[in-house]
Amino acid sequence: MSVQEMNLQELLDCFHEVAHDPGKQMKKYLDEGKKVVLVAPVYTPEEVIHSMGMVPMGAWGGDIQLNEAKKYFPAFICSIMQSIVELGTKGVYDGASAIVIPSLCDSLKVLGQNWKYAVKDIPFIPMTYPQNRKPAFGRTFTKAGYERVAADLEKATGIKFEEDKLPASIDVYNAHNAAMRAVSEKLASHPEITNQQRSDIFKSATFMLKEEHTELVNALLAALDKAGASAKKTIRIMTSGILADAPDLLTILDENNMQIVADDVAAESRQYRTDTPDGDKAPLERLADKFAETDNCSVLYDVEKKRVDKIVEDAKKADAKGVLVLLTKFCDPEEFDYPLIKRACSAADLPCVLIEIDRQMVNYEQARTAIETFKDLLA
Amino acid sequence: MYTFGIDIGSTTSKCVVMKDGTQIVGTSLLVGGIGTKSPAEAVRQALENAGVTREELAGVAATGYGRNRYEDADYHVSELSCHGLGAHHTFPGVRTIIDIGGQDAKVISLDSEGRMQNFLMNDKCAAGTGRFLDVMANILVIPVGELADYCARAKEPAQISSTCTVFAESEVISQLANGVEMEDLVAGICSSVAGRVASLAKRINIVPEVCMSGGVAQNAGVRNALSEKIGHPILFSPNAQLFGAIGAALYAWEKKQ
Repeated sequence: MSVQEMNLQELLDCFHEVAHDPGKQMKKYLDEGKKVVLVAPVYTPEEVIHSMGMVPMGAWGGDIQLNEAKKYFPAFICSIMQSIVELGTKGVYDGASAIVIPSLCDSLKVLGQNWKYAVKDIPFIPMTYPQNRKPAFGRTFTKAGYERVAADLEKATGIKFEEDKLPASIDVYNAHNAAMRAVSEKLASHPEITNQQRSDIFKSATFMLKEEHTELVNALLAALDKAGASAKKTIRIMTSGILADAPDLLTILDENNMQIVADDVAAESRQYRTDTPDGDKAPLERLADKFAETDNCSVLYDVEKKRVDKIVEDAKKADAKGVLVLLTKFCDPEEFDYPLIKRACSAADLPCVLIEIDRQMVNYEQARTAIETFKDLLA
Repeated sequence: MYTFGIDIGSTTSKCVVMKDGTQIVGTSLLVGGIGTKSPAEAVRQALENAGVTREELAGVAATGYGRNRYEDADYHVSELSCHGLGAHHTFPGVRTIIDIGGQDAKVISLDSEGRMQNFLMNDKCAAGTGRFLDVMANILVIPVGELADYCARAKEPAQISSTCTVFAESEVISQLANGVEMEDLVAGICSSVAGRVASLAKRINIVPEVCMSGGVAQNAGVRNALSEKIGHPILFSPNAQLFGAIGAALYAWEKKQ
């Protein structure tokens, strides 16, 4: 069945299947003869990989028990990083040609260094970003990082990087960004779509070629228009954090009639906010400009912390009644920002609640209590 | 109109029968919380105390960690909301509630009308909870209900870590080995719990009046230490441990109105 022939439910099922079985998706690409390159969070230059005819596939870890990874990490470190290594040591990523890991937080730096020893069969390619990304020297540094990634990819895969093929991939990614922004906005007026289904749409994006995902998302947008919005009344909230994909957590939100109408989640909308600019510059320079112009994220240096105001602004714009901060345990950049977010929300009369999450949570009762109380507070 | 609130916690079950949302006509409090026979027995005892039958109850609300497994309830309500309602009912001027239960600690902020403004919960950690006191009382072979008496007789409270129950347990054993007086050790333990919870409370804007709820509120040693650390007097009611159940009964009453 073609994507255009799929109805709303079939499209939602398709997102769900991809989001919950990335291994099947990876096997499909490998069976098609494509090379798969893992991309760790966040802001990995996927366009470079895509332009080389390979599939960039998100590696954000999974909700699993950590055993092997503990050989490589201290106890108090981000569980996303640990679960990426855990999955690597268990062979879940076997078949991937390389993994690109950016350097945007201390845990990510540790991930890269440990990956080399923990998962020897999948080459580690570092993407070293500058702290000062906006000045010309920062952009030059970023571009040099992309060139290093391209060179390492050539070495790992034997496929040559040709910069003149990059603009086509940039167009694919810009189109996908637009589709994701549109679907986020559209879903805010469709309370019948559950939080789990919304998460599936975002999560599946990391496991698919972006042109394929864009086609699905555009079909979904059309199907939503055709179906019309339901009259269901929900409590509208905005989420913020690194991840928001735990099924138990999303179920609790659904059970409490809470609808995510906007997000500031790194694995969701944050990565789709900024397009690569058009222009006459060389494609890699344009890509470096994209990173330079990306803002409002805990791992991107900003002395003014404009991110905080954007959260309030986005929440108000989406008519969210409160902000739910899903703090990934031991994520320093997010922890540093939380007091500022809390203060800004308070000043804007926007209730804000924090729930700590990680990749190893098995009991969500404390989260349930916090969410139920948040609901009472918003009511 | 009679309404009923049941608070099924991690270590105890509490019930309250209320008449017309104002008068408490029956209560019960049993050791044993979620997953035990205590909730059913607590219901039986509270109804018996009130002289009311199940059929006469206009509404039942369940709260506490076991709330969602209690099937005979019309409403299942978060314990933070219920502690807020129960505390406001008991102390109409209260603005900050510090609830230390068997396995967690919470701070609730109310506005002048008693509406919840904000709340905080502790990390998933036994330090700063009733569990910490249980573990320490067990090591010292003192009934947990007598900790406050020991605390009152202390001359120089011992220094006990407030960061980890397991480490603090080792510290207490070391201090016992060093001959530290039992009373001073208990005062150190109470101060440790108070220190941990005070840190949590200070993350919210503490507005007086302040009260405590939950089982640990019965412990004057913790109460006094906490009062000193947050710089505000702490209101105390003998019903502090019932605030959740009172709030649940009030919630049921409000819903039935």
